[in-house]
Amino acid sequence: DSHVQYERVGADVTMKCGSMDWDAAVTWTANGTDIDESHLNGSYLILKNVGLSQSGQYFCYEGSSWHLKYQTNLRVGTPPKEPVLMCRSNNYPKGFYCSWHLPTPTYIPNFFNISVIHGTKDMVCEKDSPPKNRCHIKYLQLFSTVKYKVTLTVTNALGKNFTTLTFDEFAIVKPDPPESVVAKPVPNNPRRLEVSWQNPSSWPDPESFPLKFFLRYRPLILDQWQHVELSDGTSHTITDAYAGKEYIIQVAAKDSDIGTWSDWSVAVHATPWTEEPKHLTTEAQITETTSVSTSSFMAPPTTKICDKGAVVGS
Amino acid sequence: LGAGQSIQQTYDLTRYLEHQLRTLAGTYLNYLGPPFNEPDFNPPRMARAERVPSATVDLDLWRGLTDNARLAANYRAYSRLLCYLRVLDGQVGTAELRHRLSHFCASLQGLVLSIGGVMSSLGYPLPAGPVGPPGPPGASAAPNDFLKKMDDFWLLKELQTWLWRSAKDFNRLKKKVPPAVVTLRLEARGF
Repeated sequence: DSHVQYERVGADVTMKCGSMDWDAAVTWTANGTDIDESHLNGSYLILKNVGLSQSGQYFCYEGSSWHLKYQTNLRVGTPPKEPVLMCRSNNYPKGFYCSWHLPTPTYIPNFFNISVIHGTKDMVCEKDSPPKNRCHIKYLQLFSTVKYKVTLTVTNALGKNFTTLTFDEFAIVKPDPPESVVAKPVPNNPRRLEVSWQNPSSWPDPESFPLKFFLRYRPLILDQWQHVELSDGTSHTITDAYAGKEYIIQVAAKDSDIGTWSDWSVAVHATPWTEEPKHLTTEAQITETTSVSTSSFMAPPTTKICDKGAVVGS
Repeated sequence: LGAGQSIQQTYDLTRYLEHQLRTLAGTYLNYLGPPFNEPDFNPPRMARAERVPSATVDLDLWRGLTDNARLAANYRAYSRLLCYLRVLDGQVGTAELRHRLSHFCASLQGLVLSIGGVMSSLGYPLPAGPVGPPGPPGASAAPNDFLKKMDDFWLLKELQTWLWRSAKDFNRLKKKVPPAVVTLRLEARGF
């Protein structure tokens, strides 16, 4: 007879050669390779402290006739640990999704079962097709004071485990990042950058459930971000950019009343508008270049620069 | 004040109250003590708590509400919630909490008046009939202290949820009721 045999890593395994007597002459193979006599106890195969590498097809043949007497597919693995479960609503108020994974692999097939209970009501969780460990729940009601309870049970041939999440409807609202972020210089404005973006396409009803945004920007030469929060609209003009410096810009989104901020959007880069260098004669160019190079790191013109006389030792 | 500004003001007041309640509820639940102040506390909703107006609503129903029905639902809910909250206010043992509760009640009263103002500016009648609660759930009616605390827990939770719902309600109204248009319409009708 032939079947799958699951064993835990580190277990001692004994395999009987089908109906053969203990003292019968037999030959065992593993994945086509004869197994050394030292692993045999009579006609029994003894595998001590099995490891993952010992998974495979095991055959037992009767000594003289080479008739196949026993075959098994040995699968060495582990029972599942407590799964990691996360639920989130990135398309509020349509519904929310839950996704899960095991903290460590089990090396054998696992089966997941998820239950979603709202008060006394069992809710359907529409599963994505494998291998995606994710399912989706539709909100039937809004503005509920009753928590949702999600229980995920994982089972495999070697064991079972589960985890439970309890949460309020508004606590798991987290939009996807804003999309189509664009940053452009503003002609004739050396300290401005115009940034625009769009609501995440997964957010179904920005009219009723408006998003607010968080913009962060910094020149590439600095590490410190500057932030600005915007509750209306999907654009903003940065007015304090350093002249001529390349900037990196990102945007995040949040429901204007509930939940948490999205991840940051994809970063975009832009450099504020700078005056086109004029077509000068050679001598003028040299003078121009000398003055430009000393002023490129000058503070904004409004800042008072100390007088030459005041500088010590000049 | 045009309806648009009035709605905006009501929205802002709702957001202010929501923020206020977050800290007040935390303080109050600590006052009630365990298990009420534990984040995962998830009690079944007792029949008693059903008397408190529930913000829960079917999604499509909520979307389809007329402006009048939307406002009236808010008006009725806060009028009743205010009454329950006043009962709470009268029973709290610590002066500091009592002070904060009464301050909150005053602000909530402001919200009820503000909603009423929006309704009037849009030409809607205020909801008729008894607006106060049939019988406050938190009063001596509670057979024991634990159930009394349970009533308080659900009252605060429902109030928090109503404020969050109202923010969405007034957002919707803001978009549907631009300030200028409404003023013209009212003038045309001889107001």
